[in-house]
Amino acid sequence: MSRFILFATTTMLVVAAPTASFAHAFLDRAEPRVGNTVATAPRELKLWFTQRLEQAFSTVEVTNGSGQRVDTGKPRVNDNEMAISLRVRGPGTYRVNWHVLSVDTHTTEGNFTFTVGK
Amino acid sequence: MAWPIDSAALALVAIRTVHFSATALTAGVLLFRAVIGAAATMSSPVSAQAADAQTHQLAGWGLLVSVLSGAVWFVLTAADMGNLAVSRALHADVLTTVAEATQFGSVAVTRLVLALLLGASLAFDGIKPLRWLTLALALGLMASIAWTGHGGSGFGVEGDVRVAADALHLIAASAWIGGLVPLALLLSAGLHDNSSASITVARVATQRVSLLGIASVGTLVATGSINAWFLVGSSRALFGTEYGRVLLAKLALFAVMLSFAAFNRTILTPRLLAPATAGSQPAAVRTLTRHCVVEFALGLIILGVVGWLGTVHPASHFMN
Repeated sequence: MSRFILFATTTMLVVAAPTASFAHAFLDRAEPRVGNTVATAPRELKLWFTQRLEQAFSTVEVTNGSGQRVDTGKPRVNDNEMAISLRVRGPGTYRVNWHVLSVDTHTTEGNFTFTVGK
Repeated sequence: MAWPIDSAALALVAIRTVHFSATALTAGVLLFRAVIGAAATMSSPVSAQAADAQTHQLAGWGLLVSVLSGAVWFVLTAADMGNLAVSRALHADVLTTVAEATQFGSVAVTRLVLALLLGASLAFDGIKPLRWLTLALALGLMASIAWTGHGGSGFGVEGDVRVAADALHLIAASAWIGGLVPLALLLSAGLHDNSSASITVARVATQRVSLLGIASVGTLVATGSINAWFLVGSSRALFGTEYGRVLLAKLALFAVMLSFAAFNRTILTPRLLAPATAGSQPAAVRTLTRHCVVEFALGLIILGVVGWLGTVHPASHFMN
């Protein structure tokens, strides 16, 4: 029995060795699209994720070039989709910072930018 | 989860392992009684009485550990969700938010209700018709773990398939791992007694365990394949991610358990069922009992790996 426990322990230690880090890509798509330029100011930001989200622990912030927030109200979550209203005024580059909790209790976060008008 | 594993993550893995093991033991013991123990001990009222008492004790203690570990798991997960210290997570506002506003929380509350009903049912275990309700509650308690993990996070038809596969996987695992303890106790009691009645009990039990084992392994392989399809997705992900490599460890341990089970089925069971030759049947029972202990130990390690897997991002999330 001790040999089998040693085998199992060794196996577990081998697979627990450090792994290379991969970019987390849990955001499936967004509107306005990631890195895209839109002609007119969007009224709403929508994000789609690869898993269902927990509204109580999921947030998103949108800031302008000066770092001021342009999102309004609370994010609305429906299954894997999160939306938030925007009051975007004028052209410029806007940054989206998202932090979400999926229903299987994993948190992920990320950010991207989109541009208005230029 | 990176290496070295931080203490919070390690605590979560440890408590999940304890909870899965205790719940699997409770469900497995009651399932063993329903499909194997009752039939095996039919010819021996003494054995039946002893087995009944053991089942009641094992299921009762298993349930107690399951409830206590479940409570700790709830608090640790609440802390993890909100990125809070455990002391902060113990506040009523945090626990209420998790319980009311998250799937994990609502499933935990439902499972607590199941556990309390199971406890009540076990308290009236002497009423034999109630035992089917007891079994259903125990299997429900085990299967509902599926909604707390990766399987429960999908949506649409894919989500339904994943959670169903997970739930069946959990039940099959508890049937195999949890059933090993009452089997070992039954066989061990027979060794001390060494009467022809005890050998008959061991024969019937082993035959039925064999059939249950085939059903369990078949279910584990089929549902495990479905889970791997969704959570791993490719051989590159299997070998190139932490999730994939931990899954490989689980599969390796499963293969070792399977080899023991195959040996029991093809070598020891025929010896036990063959016409008695001097000392051959007690020897087969002794070896079977030892194998049960080894398999159970391996099963606990697998449940530890499962506890770890649930805290790691699925491999398919990284391989787009």
